[in-house]
Amino acid sequence: MDRPWRLPHPYGWRGIAIAIGALLLIFYTGQRVEMGRMLALTGQALLAQVGLAERSQVADGLGSAIGRLVPLQISDRQEIGRIEHFDAGRLPLFAHLEVVETREDRLDPMTSKMASHTVRTSYLVRPLGYVQHVALKMLETLEIALWGTLIAILIGLPLAMLSAPATMPLAPVRIAARAIVSFFRAIPELISALFLVIAYGFGPIAGVLALGIYAAGFLGKFYAEDMENVDPRPQEALVAIGAGRLATWRFAILPQVMPQYIGYTLYILDRNVRMATVIGLVGAGGIGQELKGRYDMYEYGHVGTILIAIFLVVLLLDQGNARLRRFFL
Amino acid sequence: MNGMDIRFDGLSVHYADGTCALGGISFAVPPGQFCVILGHSGAGKSTLLRTVNGLVPASGGGVVLGGKAVLPATLPALRRRIGMIHQHFGLVPRATVATNVVSGAAPAMPLWRALSGIYTAEHRAKACDLLAAVGLEEAHLQRRAEHLSGGQQQRVGIARAFMLDPAIILADEPVASLDPRISREVLELLREQARARGTTVLCSLHQLDLARAFADRIIALKNGSVVFDGPPALLDARDVAEIYAERRLAAVS
Repeated sequence: MDRPWRLPHPYGWRGIAIAIGALLLIFYTGQRVEMGRMLALTGQALLAQVGLAERSQVADGLGSAIGRLVPLQISDRQEIGRIEHFDAGRLPLFAHLEVVETREDRLDPMTSKMASHTVRTSYLVRPLGYVQHVALKMLETLEIALWGTLIAILIGLPLAMLSAPATMPLAPVRIAARAIVSFFRAIPELISALFLVIAYGFGPIAGVLALGIYAAGFLGKFYAEDMENVDPRPQEALVAIGAGRLATWRFAILPQVMPQYIGYTLYILDRNVRMATVIGLVGAGGIGQELKGRYDMYEYGHVGTILIAIFLVVLLLDQGNARLRRFFL
Repeated sequence: MNGMDIRFDGLSVHYADGTCALGGISFAVPPGQFCVILGHSGAGKSTLLRTVNGLVPASGGGVVLGGKAVLPATLPALRRRIGMIHQHFGLVPRATVATNVVSGAAPAMPLWRALSGIYTAEHRAKACDLLAAVGLEEAHLQRRAEHLSGGQQQRVGIARAFMLDPAIILADEPVASLDPRISREVLELLREQARARGTTVLCSLHQLDLARAFADRIIALKNGSVVFDGPPALLDARDVAEIYAERRLAAVS
């Protein structure tokens, strides 16, 4: 009791060793991913903006890439000869016809001489045609995300219930369910979409399944974790009167985890909308597929319109998600 | 009268860590009796109650309810006839009062009704009647249980326990987390509801005054054995000293 109290220093030898190890790791890996060059190039780009550096490869590259996106493609122009059942008397709303005259040199079979002809080609021009097309593709993307989320819930919830001790007494089944959940979570959407496109063909089916499988793994893990962390007393109250496992789950567990479940599901919906735009790049439907097609055709005006559409949707999504959260939680 | 008698035959409970919670307890509770188990914390009151519905298995001896021994085989059928009231109410805080009460009928409803929340008219009417009987208002029905006061929550707990017209009610320290005035109201209510149906009640308490006021019979436990068994009138100062002796010693040291 006579010895005075001692409060040890917060940093011991172990802490210092860990800090040194972490610093070495940062330096070593930083070199490997060229972080030094990144800083130099970015700095140069910034200096170029304020006139302190002559040229910057990065700034020029970014500038020309962004410059090529304008003018944005708004309208849509289609040769009427290629439109089936075209009726000039009933044009779509706001559309007009455009006639283009081109001169074409052709060999006249009678005279065997080259003669110049005037060729008139009619085009149907819809002033907002491409915007409409992008909007439809964006709608498809949102639908893919919605269905990916629905499928994730339909697969994830049963898997979660099979992997939680409260609902599944048999340990081997729980282990198997957990393994499936981990497996699902281990496949990134972009990669599974790559293979699902081969299996189901181009289009939204591959997208929906790719999103659904990964998200089922995510939801399966988090749904199950929450079930294990709930207050056990209401469960005991139901077990005490002889209620079955599923009835106990419904009355004592589900109401307790519902807010978290809604939170995870909204996160997955949000994530799925973002991912649905990306997995289109490998042909799984939606706006991404349109983006990839236009990019590969060097139609950067179209790409610009698509990028702005994605940007707007993500902004709206953030707003919508915040509202949904406030509504449910 | 739908009460069931309870008989403890040399019941002993040893926990896995070697502690002996109950050592050879024998007594019988006749149907319809309001029997208070008295004792300080750790005396084995909770354990005794939990052996009745098999939440704690007996290590030796056994419990017989209405002539049927409590065994793993008989447990599912017996549990449906035993209501339970808990110290911390055991309600689901986020669920509505109505859902909490109806959940007391969970063992008697088909699974699809439990999952969908489409309960029979009979169960819904019963829940309303019981909530009225325990002194809640219609406005409380759709309110979340967490928004009720402690006394109101325990009233909901009592309503839930009576959903299936149980033959036995186990009340495990039902008023331990309530203040004295509310405690009396809740115990009064419990006794009144049990009397009206002839339900046998096994109620654990640690407050002597409440036990004296409400019990038909007091059974005092100390260190897992019965140290007093009789009507409240026979409980004298020496018995009380005996029941609470260890606690006082512990407080002094």
